[in-house]
This record gives sequence, structure tokens and C-alpha cells, in this order.
Amino acid sequence: MLRRYKTVPDLKARESAEAISFVDPALACKLTAMGVRPGAIIEMVRKAPFGKAYYIKVDGIRLALREEEALSILLEL
Amino acid sequence: MTKDEVQTYKIALVGNPNSGKSTVFNQLTGLRQKTGNFPGVTVDIKSGKIRFKGGKEAILTDLPGTYSLYPTSSDEKIVAAVLTHPAHVNFPDAIVYVADTHHLEKHLLLLTQIMDLGIPILLALNMADTAAELGIKVNVARLSERLGVPVVFVSGRTGENIDRLQAELEKMMLDAQTTDRSAAFYTLTEAEKQLVEAVKHNVGTENPYRALLIAHHYRWLPFLKAHERETLAAIVETKHFQSLRAQVDETLDRFDRFTPYVQESVQEALTFPNTTTDRIDAVLTHRVFGPLIFFAVMLLMFQAIFDWSVYPMDWIEALFSWLNDTLKSNLPQGWLSDLLTDGILSGLSGIMVFIPQIAILFLLITILEEVGYMSRVVFMFDKTMRRAGMNGRSVISLIGGGACAVPAIMSSRTIGNWQERLITTMVTPFISCSARIPVYLVLIGLAVPAIKIGGFLNAQTLVFASMYALGVIAAFASGWAMKKWLRTREPSFLAIELPEYRIPDWKNVGLTVWEKVRAFIWGAGKIILFVSIALWGLARFGPGNAIALAETQAQEKASAAQLSPTETEDLVAHHRLEASYAGQMGKFIEPVIRPLGYDWKIGIALLTSFAAREVFTGTLAVLYNMGSAEQDISSRTDNQAKVTMRAKMREETLSDNGKPVYTLATALSLLVFYALALQCMSTIAVVKRETGSWKWALFQFTFMSVLAYVMAWVVYMIFS
Repeated sequence: MLRRYKTVPDLKARESAEAISFVDPALACKLTAMGVRPGAIIEMVRKAPFGKAYYIKVDGIRLALREEEALSILLEL
Repeated sequence: MTKDEVQTYKIALVGNPNSGKSTVFNQLTGLRQKTGNFPGVTVDIKSGKIRFKGGKEAILTDLPGTYSLYPTSSDEKIVAAVLTHPAHVNFPDAIVYVADTHHLEKHLLLLTQIMDLGIPILLALNMADTAAELGIKVNVARLSERLGVPVVFVSGRTGENIDRLQAELEKMMLDAQTTDRSAAFYTLTEAEKQLVEAVKHNVGTENPYRALLIAHHYRWLPFLKAHERETLAAIVETKHFQSLRAQVDETLDRFDRFTPYVQESVQEALTFPNTTTDRIDAVLTHRVFGPLIFFAVMLLMFQAIFDWSVYPMDWIEALFSWLNDTLKSNLPQGWLSDLLTDGILSGLSGIMVFIPQIAILFLLITILEEVGYMSRVVFMFDKTMRRAGMNGRSVISLIGGGACAVPAIMSSRTIGNWQERLITTMVTPFISCSARIPVYLVLIGLAVPAIKIGGFLNAQTLVFASMYALGVIAAFASGWAMKKWLRTREPSFLAIELPEYRIPDWKNVGLTVWEKVRAFIWGAGKIILFVSIALWGLARFGPGNAIALAETQAQEKASAAQLSPTETEDLVAHHRLEASYAGQMGKFIEPVIRPLGYDWKIGIALLTSFAAREVFTGTLAVLYNMGSAEQDISSRTDNQAKVTMRAKMREETLSDNGKPVYTLATALSLLVFYALALQCMSTIAVVKRETGSWKWALFQFTFMSVLAYVMAWVVYMIFS
């Protein structure tokens, strides 16, 4: 099946994309309250030293997300 | 509830994490603040008094930072629990909402939620100073008109406009009725309206949004009674209410409504020019340098604790030893003066000598937190911590455990997942806290030679560092084991904001350190003082005339062997102690601890240490110095006292085979025991409070004690 979206871990460093929606409602609830919402521009800053976590910027706000959280944000291709 | 509490006007300070709430709190209350227990939520909350120009007063309470009234951690739940419960003693008459002007949009979500609860609210746009530097302009009047709440542009750091904030607050206090809002910010959906209608009657609230929140949170809101919970569950069930979905939709709807207001009234700087933080993070969170720098910072921290604390600790010990000598030479001899000097004074000195180390450790941890470094550590080590069943946030607890497990365990409240938080609570006491330091110092100095290994590494330092390593290994290994054993499935979050780096607010740092040190002195201090007085009594008195009998026997023995007066005195002291209650208790447990290489005197020290491990050295001092006045005189300076005590300890022999008690094997075995055992009443109490039951506190106590016993035995076997 052709993938019609990508997620945060697909972004390379300094690459950014617009968030479209969320996979998991519990994570969506947490992330929207922190300012990550559909329409926001998400920029990848870097991966954690030992992996499994990402440093991102959302509209100028710096956030650290776990892999599961990063995978739950669907981005525009 | 006292009459005073009913009448005083109550104001709550609310805002997102990193909104600079604490600086605004300090500006409004000055030094008139205290930390107290918050009824119903079992948590310590800071509160302080605001004195208005007109002479009126109000109580300001600092609620934990949260992003929304849909919480994910127990810290955040407090805010929702208090604000949905108007009958709560701390339910505020008004709210000061602190928002960071740099990212205003994100901060308005919680503001509009609280507005819908109908509580009078005032918006304090914080960080006016740096916003101006960055060229951010805010049309305060427009924003205030759009949101329908008073808005003040302030700076918690410089104190700018704090007087205006106070004036606005005073105005709110005067006409509380007129600020009551009828128009809600968020329009309920049809499904939500029906739900609210059904819920309203059951929980007795007129406010639709409060009813909606109660429907969302009925499972955990602490003020609901069992039957109310059942009714609410039934309502939610029959209405097919999708709580999570509704939360997300509501949040997005709110954003859609207030985003235009922000665009209208805030002129942003076109770019986000703060690249300093980006440049610092390029190094501090770097794949290789990040972890390396972290370990270097930890090393420097512990180095600083030992280097800086030497002098103040010497002064404190010198002061107490001078006090002791003065009292002894000026008071008439007898049990009362003994109680004052050997009991109370030695207990007090045991508390006071810890203050420098604890203060320095808290100072450094608070600075790391204030500059924004801690959240980077959380980000870097989340994966590592998860392997051991914990959360990245647990790093903060474990580092704090190096100072004292009690505040460290309390800081785990920011972890949302119950299992991760529980494991953090369970393993934090394995990290060697400052109370273990004196025990380590005495034992290492006694048994480990001060030789250089490979020409540069001091053997004593190596053993000392190994004790810390042992604690860390024990923490991670047991965390890993608990994770395998518990295996619950519950959502777990990392999602954490990485704030901009900033120079710490020194006033805030000072207040935090003062607060923690004071809490330690009162909490642990009471226990140490109590134990040392009890111990003094147990060592001085015995059943019936046992003590007098032992004394006569010792005198006879001494004159038969023609001992010198000093030797006689020591022999008498030794016999007296053996006959005392303490001696008998020690003898009673000796069979249990004999396999670890300990005698009955160490047994007494072990028993008393279960109240607080810092009692160990004090106990041994009492046990070995009793009655020997010369020792007290010679122990005027720290080093001499330690040398004297060590010399005394070296002379100790086992009663059954006459071999020395303090061999390398015994000392190492004792070190391991103290590193692993949970000998701290305060920790047990705080674990009971944080986990809500004795079950986990007792489990932790048993687990750590058994592990300590077994490991100490293994070490003794290897080295003897």
C-alpha cells in the first residue's frame, strides 16, 4: 500500500513539515495542549544520543518527544 | 477550618510549566511564604501573603504548572481537582494566570478553560523585559477586550508592573460579583450539552463546564463519593461519551477561537531570533558530547559538595565541641548534664553538620533546573531510564536522591505513568544520599589504606566512588526487575518542553534551597534528636541494679589487675555499657548479624540507624567514648576527633575469638549494608504518602533490607 503521509521520525535534521492529524487520541490530547496541533509546522532538530527520542521545534517552541509520541503525529508529505 | 481561613481572600496562581510562575509568586509575596499540606490532595503547596497598599491581605497559593485541565500526571491533576471543587478549602476567590508572552498562543488554552469555570481571573503577561528586547509588542487593551479579562504586562524577574498587578487584583477583590462571567468561551457541542444536563443535577453544580470536566474526570476526582462515581459512570456509558475525542476537539476549537485574538493584539518578532539556545543545545544535547558533558557535570557536582563543605562542617563541629566542653565544665556532674551534652547536644550536632552538604547539593540541583538543563537530561536519557522501567523525568529524582531521598521522591510527581513513578519511588533510596557520607567516611578511613593505585588514584577515593556506583547499579537493576514483574499497560508520556536557557533567578534559587534545607532540618532533625536522646537513655540505664553490679565487678577486676585510673575508667565504661539496655539489645541481635562480621556494638548502631542512618557515627561515638572525659577534650578539632574514634574502633575485639572487629572485611560489609539498606523513617513515611498505602513502603523496606543483608554477607565472605 502506498503511504500517503509521513511521521516525525521520517524528518531529517533541520527539515520541517506541517502536521495533519494524530494516530492516538490519548497522545493527541497531550500534544495539542502543548501546542502541537494540525496546521503547526514541525521542525526536526536532532535525535537523542541513544535514540528513541526526538528534539523538535513547533512554532518556535522546543519539545522533546519519545518515539511513540513522534510516530503518532502524521505529517504532510 | 479556622475563622481566619474563611474570611481571608484566596488567590491561586495558575499557569503552564515554564511560564515563570514562581518568579511572579516571589514578587507578590516577598518572603512571606510557607509550604503546607493541601487538604485532600496530599501534596505540599507553596502559599504566601500579599499585602495590598490599602492594608488588605490575601493568601496567594502557587498551584503546580499544567497545560490544560485535561491532566496526565498527578501534579497536573491537583489543578483540575481543586478548580472543579468549589467546596474545597483552598478553592480560590480569584486566579492570577501567568503566561509567557513569547509563546502566548499556547498559554491561552488553560486560561480560557478556567474562564469557563466562572472563577474571576486576571492575565499576567510575564517576561515583559525579554519580550521587549526581542521586539514583541502587545496591545494589552485589545487583548483584554477580546478575552474579556483584565490583562497586565509584567516581569517577574525585574518586578516591572507588579504594583499594577496588585492594583488590578485589589479591584477584583472589591467587585468580585461584577466580574462573574455568564458567556462561556467555549460553546458546548450538542452531545456535550446533553451530557452536562444529566450530570449537573447529580453533582449539584450550575456551571456547565465544571459539569463537563467532572464527567471527563469522574474516575479519579478525589471529592466524588462512591455512589456519585457510579451514577456518573452510568451517565457517560448511556450517552456513549467519547472522553478523549471530545477533549481533543474542545482543545482545537479553543485554539481556533483565540488564535485570531493573539494575531490581532500581539506583534511578533518576524523570526525566532533566540539562536543562543540552539547553539548551546547543539553541544549539550549532541550525540557524543551531550552524555559526556552530563557525566562531567555530575562529577564536578560531587567534587564541589566535598570540597566546599569541608570548612563550614569543621566550623560547626568546632562550635558544638566547644559548647559541649563549656557545658561539661560548668554544669554539676549528674545524669541531667549528661543528657544535655551526650544526648541532646551530640544529637543536634549530628543534624547541623549535614547542612552545608545538603545546602550545596540542593543549590547545584536547583541551578541546573533553573537554567533549563534538567529537561535536556530528561530528553537524552529517556531511553536509558525506560530500560529500567522508568521515565526520562526519573533522572531528576535519581540525581536529587544524591542529596536526600525525601524531596527526590516527591519530585517524581511529574511522571504521569503510575508504574514508572512507582519504580522511581522504589529505587531512588538506593542512590547514596548525603546522610550516608559520614558513615562512608568513618568506615573507609578505618579499613582502607590511603595508598595510591597506579600512582595517582587514591584507594580511599576509589572505594568511596564505588559506593555511589553500587547504589546506581542497584537502582537500575531493581528497576529492571520490577518492570519485568509489574508489566501493566498504561499510557506513558515523555513529551516535555525544552525551555530557553536563561540565567537563574537568584532570589528564587535562594528561596528554594532555604525551603529544602529547612524541611530537612525539621523532618529528619526531629527524628535524629529523638533517637539520640533515646539512645543516650538506653546506653546509660539498665534493668534493675545491673549497671551498679557491672560497675562493682569492673572496679574489682581493675584493682586486681592493678590498672591505671584511665584504664580503670574505660573498663568500667565498657562494663556499664554491656549491662545497659542498649548493650542487651545489641547482644540480643548479635547472632543475626554475626555472619556479617558485626559485634553487639555495631548491632546497636544498626538498630538505631533504622530510624535515620546518620545516627550511625553518633551512636558509635557514644558507645566508644562513654565515660572517657579525656577523649572529649582531645576532640576539639574535627580531624583529631575522627582519629580518636578510629583509634578506638581499631582496638575493638570480638568477644568470642578476640580478633579485631574492624577488619577490611567487616568495614566493606558494613559499607555495602549502609549503601543498600533503607534506614530512614522519613523515606518510609514519604513513600507511604506518595503511593497512598503501607503496602509499597513495607515492600521497599523489606526488599532493600534483605538485599543489604545478603550483599553484606557475600562481601564479608569474599574478604574474610
